[in-house]
Amino acid sequence: MVPGVVPVALLVARTDTHAVLVDNLLAYPTGFDFDLAVRRHPRQPRQHHGRAHLWGDELRLEVRFADGRSADNDPRSWPRPAGDQPPDPPVLYQSTSGPDGGHVWLWGLPPPGPLFFTCQWPAQQIPPWEAVLDAGLVLAAARRAQTLWPKETSA
Amino acid sequence: MVWVRIGWCLHPSRRSCRSRRLRTVGPPGSSRPPTWSPGILPVELILARTPQRAIGLTGIRAYPTGFGCTLHLRLREVIPGEQSNFGAFNMFGDGVDPAGEFADYYLRFGVGFADGRKATNLNQRWDFDESPAPDPPTLRLVRWEGYDLLAWEVDVWVWGLPPPGPLVFACEWPARGISETRVEIDAGPVLEAAGRAVPIWPDQTPP
Repeated sequence: MVPGVVPVALLVARTDTHAVLVDNLLAYPTGFDFDLAVRRHPRQPRQHHGRAHLWGDELRLEVRFADGRSADNDPRSWPRPAGDQPPDPPVLYQSTSGPDGGHVWLWGLPPPGPLFFTCQWPAQQIPPWEAVLDAGLVLAAARRAQTLWPKETSA
Repeated sequence: MVWVRIGWCLHPSRRSCRSRRLRTVGPPGSSRPPTWSPGILPVELILARTPQRAIGLTGIRAYPTGFGCTLHLRLREVIPGEQSNFGAFNMFGDGVDPAGEFADYYLRFGVGFADGRKATNLNQRWDFDESPAPDPPTLRLVRWEGYDLLAWEVDVWVWGLPPPGPLVFACEWPARGISETRVEIDAGPVLEAAGRAVPIWPDQTPP
């Protein structure tokens, strides 16, 4: 399947030294994915972190739907597998993470209304910030996702 | 639909997720300006499709110095005996035979501007030393995210904005049965999207 493009790059947080963007938003009938992009001010030197660091040092992200359901990138909150039954959406999975951010997949499409992205990064002195996206843009993009082969199931 | 228990990807095309982001250090202009937020032009193309293989393209994320897009490489099923290496980066000479010819399993992708200039992934630069900025356009594959053997996404950066007129995306994947294919869009909206890019910090210098 080729996804639909959400035509927005969302600035979620910005301090004097760092910014967090939600970029490259792509939508499918079952959810959407995006780059959680960390940007440093040109005057801010790159910091190198040891490989072993605590969850508390990571960039934290929560996505909240208009109906109150939410998901975050804390791996401790991921649902445990229950046979072949998929979990109740939304579920957020961050496949990569690092000083430049990572790639995120969110299972479950939001209902119409505001879609909230909240982030905080205590290790980089980024307090909780929130940005809002019209979920209608995500839903419209999901409808434009293209099935490549006619018998391919979409969900 | 198979629900993957490792990481719970739950994505229609994913089985397991592996990702690699290549270093984009290099001369200024040879990678997306890191402190800008792009203008987005929603483009969703199927560049090529056979009964078993397909290449999609989404984007476009435009900046004053160039634009990015994402290739979606899809295999309907694994064909026994088929080369599993996607081969697109040629960082270490993979995909190139001793005679300098690219192997059939090497994905070829390029862009063509209305003034005749073009860039492909066949001559990507991987020198991480400081060097003069290349003449635009240049094309680099900067990130891939692989979902076992069936689905991969590859981010592309093109340095240099096209002039008005047709903008061509071309691809070829001989080992996968995809002959050279071209899809054309109007570069005008790409340029308009580049005009909508904004600096993240108001006090930063232009790219």
